[in-house]
Amino acid sequence: MAALLHLDGSAARPSRSRVESVRDARRSFSTAVRLGWATEANWADPVLFVIYQVAKPIASVLMLVVMLEIVTQGAGDAAYRAFVVTGSALWALVMGGMSGLAWSVLDDRERYRMLKYLTISPDPLVLLLLGRGAARMGTAAAGALVTLAFGVLLLGVDFDLFAIDWPLLIPSMLLGLVAIIALGVILAGTVMMTRQDAWSYPEAVAGALFLVCGAVFPIAVLPMAVQAASLVLPLTWWLEGVRRGLFPDSVSSIGGEGSIWMSLTRTSVPDRTTLLVLLFLSTAVVTVISIAVYRWSEHRARERGLLDQTTGS
Amino acid sequence: MHEDAVSATNLPPAIDMRGVRRIYKAKPNPVTALAGIDLHVEPGESFGLLGPNGAGKTTLIKILTTLLLPSEGTARVFGYDVEHQTQNVRRIMNVVSGGETSGYGLLQVREQLWMFSQFYGLPARDGWRRVDELIEAVGLTEQQHQKVSSLSTGQRQKMNFARGLLNDPWIFFLDEPTLGLDVSAARSVRELVKQWKAAVPGRTVLLTSHYMAEVDELCERLAIVDRGRILAIGSPAELKHRVQAESIFRLELDRLEGGPRALAGLPGVVSAVTPTDDAGAAADRQTVRVNLTLADDSALGSVVIALGALGSHIVALQKSEPSLEDVFVELVGRGFDAEEAAAHATGLPPQPSVPPPPAEDREPAEVA
Amino acid sequence: MAPAPDSVPGTTPVPATAPARAPSAAHSAFVYRPTADPMTAATWTQRRVLVTNLRALYGRAYPRLIGLRREPSWLFFEVLLPFLTTSAFVFVYRALQAPPEYIGFVVLGGAMTAFWLNVMWMMAAQLYWEKDQGNLDLYFTTPISLMSVLFGMAVGGLLSSCLRASIVLVVGSALYGVSFAIQDWFLLLAVFFLTLTALYGLGMVLASLFLLFGREAWHLSQAMQEPVYFVSGLNFPVGQLGMLGALAISLIPLAVGLDAMRQLAFSGSDAHTGTPSPGVEALMLVAMTVVFIGFARFMLKRLERMAREQGKLSVRGG
Repeated sequence: MAALLHLDGSAARPSRSRVESVRDARRSFSTAVRLGWATEANWADPVLFVIYQVAKPIASVLMLVVMLEIVTQGAGDAAYRAFVVTGSALWALVMGGMSGLAWSVLDDRERYRMLKYLTISPDPLVLLLLGRGAARMGTAAAGALVTLAFGVLLLGVDFDLFAIDWPLLIPSMLLGLVAIIALGVILAGTVMMTRQDAWSYPEAVAGALFLVCGAVFPIAVLPMAVQAASLVLPLTWWLEGVRRGLFPDSVSSIGGEGSIWMSLTRTSVPDRTTLLVLLFLSTAVVTVISIAVYRWSEHRARERGLLDQTTGS
Repeated sequence: MHEDAVSATNLPPAIDMRGVRRIYKAKPNPVTALAGIDLHVEPGESFGLLGPNGAGKTTLIKILTTLLLPSEGTARVFGYDVEHQTQNVRRIMNVVSGGETSGYGLLQVREQLWMFSQFYGLPARDGWRRVDELIEAVGLTEQQHQKVSSLSTGQRQKMNFARGLLNDPWIFFLDEPTLGLDVSAARSVRELVKQWKAAVPGRTVLLTSHYMAEVDELCERLAIVDRGRILAIGSPAELKHRVQAESIFRLELDRLEGGPRALAGLPGVVSAVTPTDDAGAAADRQTVRVNLTLADDSALGSVVIALGALGSHIVALQKSEPSLEDVFVELVGRGFDAEEAAAHATGLPPQPSVPPPPAEDREPAEVA
Repeated sequence: MAPAPDSVPGTTPVPATAPARAPSAAHSAFVYRPTADPMTAATWTQRRVLVTNLRALYGRAYPRLIGLRREPSWLFFEVLLPFLTTSAFVFVYRALQAPPEYIGFVVLGGAMTAFWLNVMWMMAAQLYWEKDQGNLDLYFTTPISLMSVLFGMAVGGLLSSCLRASIVLVVGSALYGVSFAIQDWFLLLAVFFLTLTALYGLGMVLASLFLLFGREAWHLSQAMQEPVYFVSGLNFPVGQLGMLGALAISLIPLAVGLDAMRQLAFSGSDAHTGTPSPGVEALMLVAMTVVFIGFARFMLKRLERMAREQGKLSVRGG
């Protein structure tokens, strides 16, 4: 077969070795990340861009804190305030992760008409989408950090840097990111088969998950059947793990009076090991599901010729 | 009922542009897309704008179709100012561009066209009926229930063309309408233009293109545009006449007593010579070739009579005509391809440096 | 219907449902209501202008309506899932053991969110997408007002918005035990409709601004969601925000409309403090409607002119 040249002049062969494949994939991924950043960040001047990144999560957290203060008439529980602020900040990451990939599909299909070219490139489409979505996740993570800082500095959230439970925080965060990306992949596959107005789908899905994952209230408030569904979701365990990692004395979103956890295990809150194991298992399941859903969706999109269509209305 | 004989003298000019300039604010320097255009098109004309990419053709059409304001000058369509009487202009014109991908992918062809019929105020039922007629006229009957997103390029352009005719415009702007189409599809579009124009006298077409043959075929008059200026205006024949006043024919005869000199002295014959590229092959061939330059076509008759008297029979007769690109090269000093290649390489308009080729090296065109 | 030109007496006539074709069908397609001259064709009565714009409104709504029918996934993503989002805030109040009328506030706020999103996404940001797709310049070559196109976009999305709002309101009220105490139905309905008109007026103003801002439009629409929810008091009485709430009420139709509807739907609740009475707020909505629609008309004309001057109406260059 004729030798092919990469843009940097190096020769690549269609029957490339595994090492070369990994190298090519890494290069494609990093290119996609740079592209994602360029498209994500270059629509406005830096000041406006920063405002945009922080306005949404801060407004969300303010809404919840005001709700808390109204009901408690200014005597809000500090622990619950920390609960709400942390959950709201982390949810920005969920939104960024889920929307990052889905909007990359829609952007490339409807606006830039590039999806077909990405599809026929040698590396897997999902890798390129992950790269494109990574920028959005990165900016969402920055927004989450700013929101947490806002909560600590201005909303009276008690935070002790030296009290962080790192052995809980780090694995929880890493596994949670995998779960968020997996959910994003599922959504990306879904929007491949839907029309342009699917821009709102990531928010809609994130909003629905917002109800059941213990983001801004303990799931003990929910009916038992819904609590059972919550415990299947990796985001529930992730929120619990990160929250307790950052604020070891935090109110638990999973346990407590009236919770299904307490009625099943007779313990108030899950211990660290149990939490991490269940987070790992639920993340693994969602990841497997996401791979299957994505593969089926991409195949179906190719079957129906949807990868190079515009579907505006 | 429409009065078939629309008198051009009763109507204002279809297009009247005076001193039109258009400057885009671009970095690092402003771009002058139109550098002072004076253009006058009468009602009922098929007028062409011919020029390379970046000449200003699309800018000119956008001004006339009210999408763009001129930086200076005035432009009127059937007497209506494009800047201040915008709605009047929009009611009597329509525009179809090449490579147009507008529309809503989820809609079927029929639905898409009906939607546009509503934008021109057609009653709902009238709209459906008209859409069905136009779909049949443009040859999209089989695709009428297909989604717009699944159409081929040629089918989409036919649909665009049908859209352009929904409101039965008095003036039809066609901005490179066959761009990207294959030969068959391009021919269909050109036939549609001709049929539409022939249906009612007085209809006007303004066509922009950089396909010379298309302009040659469709337009009664054309302007050659380059770098925002009109270099020449006239009918295709007039413009070609600028480049080559005489008529050149290539004759192939079974024999010629006395050789080409026998024809040189005939009235109207400027010269009669053996083609320079024929010397080597003449010995092997049974026929005689002659390049004949006449003062004009009317002299051909006397040549034919003379050939008859000499006992020669005409085996083949071809007229050599300059192309519109020859006209462009004559006016500008470079061809369309060189123009575009230079622009691509430098990003700046190239400077004329290549002299036009000599007349005898031009390819002869088939006699129509 | 005229008989077929080749019909013969005594033979079966051509049925009315199969109209006879003129000898040249193509000719017929190429001739439609011809006028004697272009000036006659270019001069329209006010009635014709109005009727054309109304037809254009329906024409633009048409693709939206077709899209809803052909792609039913919106029922799940745009109706059911948002209901769950609203439910999340209901449970926040339950976790806080808030008074029962606060659940009602959330349900009502969740219902009205549907219309705000319709305005932002189906109107305000839409023109930029139309430009992207190459439709915008075609709209500008037609003899209609852009306001008709924008209204048509909003009307097309109104079906899904109304369904979403209804489900949130009806199912949410039933599921979460919301009790309404409505004393003035007429004023409540009037406030609701006035809120919509003011919202759509604002949507048109934003659409005209987004037309010039280009690709920022999408991000601006995104950025205006949560902050507007917050200052409008989507989940709590806006009066609780003090000066900020007062500012919101004076500027954002969603804030003033929602506050008025809450006061009317939960009359007797002492949760509303510091905001005008529903009657005054209804008048404010009337004023907003007039101002926004008038301003939108002015802005759309001005910005169309600016876009034509700057050549920003189409993506394809000249």
